[in-house]
Amino acid sequence: MRCCDKGKRFILIAALILNAAAANSATPTVNLEIKNHLFYPAEVEVPANKKIKLLISNLDPTPEEFESYKLNREKVILGNSKSVIFIGPLAPGRYPFFGEFNMSTALGTVIVK
Amino acid sequence: MLLDAVLIVLRETLEAGVLVSVLLSLGNLYQLKRNWLWSSLIVGGVSAFFYASQLGVVSEWFDYVGQEVVNASFQYGLYLCLLCICFLISSTQPINKRLLRLLLGAAVVLAVIREGTEVIIFFTGFLSDGDVLVKAITSGFIGLMIGFSVGALCYYLIVSPVYKNSRILSIGVLVFVAAGMVAQATQLLIQADWLPSSAPLWDSSSFLPEASTMGQLAYAVFGYEASPTLIEVVLYFTALLLIPCVIFLRVFCSRKLHSAGEPSL
Repeated sequence: MRCCDKGKRFILIAALILNAAAANSATPTVNLEIKNHLFYPAEVEVPANKKIKLLISNLDPTPEEFESYKLNREKVILGNSKSVIFIGPLAPGRYPFFGEFNMSTALGTVIVK
Repeated sequence: MLLDAVLIVLRETLEAGVLVSVLLSLGNLYQLKRNWLWSSLIVGGVSAFFYASQLGVVSEWFDYVGQEVVNASFQYGLYLCLLCICFLISSTQPINKRLLRLLLGAAVVLAVIREGTEVIIFFTGFLSDGDVLVKAITSGFIGLMIGFSVGALCYYLIVSPVYKNSRILSIGVLVFVAAGMVAQATQLLIQADWLPSSAPLWDSSSFLPEASTMGQLAYAVFGYEASPTLIEVVLYFTALLLIPCVIFLRVFCSRKLHSAGEPSL
């Protein structure tokens, strides 16, 4: 009996993990590039109240740190590499972000509509 | 002077400096030799270099969110160390100094890895240009000294004879720093989509912006977040209240045991 309970629990956990993975793969992806210490595009539009996967590719040989106080996000992206940051669900508005290692040039905004 | 270098090094040193100053004051209170601090700073520095060198590999783990998961593990580990330190020093009996030294050292190592890695990676960006690297290091040194001064100020405030019970003051500061660690770790797991995200409960950025000097200091001491989500608030207050509860239970149980051990007249 206990063995059956354990089996059911395992199936339930596996189902939850698979469900989370499926939800992840269904999350809309927005691509962002860092080149010459600038973000391309500098403005990205995303739908309101939806989780978004930001796929950031750093094409520079130097590292950068994606940072946004309004989005509550912070992540180091090494040179010539890519990384993922999940944002949202967000209310409509403008959410500025910047590259902390090049604060004067690497600037951008997520526009939520 | 490179302003970016000053700000980045200052921000990271400030966070580690506040924590190290409280731990150092505790070490002094229990008359521990300072070698625990120097050795853990060296181990932390070497580990930060190693982690920085492996960050590219780590970042690709778990579908490109490995960095968040590993950093959150460091933060939760740090909380655990601080919880154990508070538990240990709340005893009414003589404490195990060896264990205290080990816990203080482990906390410093984790703090240095967490904060030092970002600084190391920042400077690697200038390796190809010697002149700019020298400027960045000089500017970073200014940031380091400002952060160090804030840490020293914090230390001397705690050990000041004005406060009769610096142990309680140290525990009080540690509780808030520890809860801040949990808030930061939770934020990282939300960013990695390992914890559910939701709309912020409030937005206090107009009252105290995170980017301001006071906002940065509040972030270093309390883990201040201008627009936290429900799960962050719940875990922050759970972490905040858990330490006093554990201390209360420890004191209550040891007093009960002590009174039960006394011979009745």
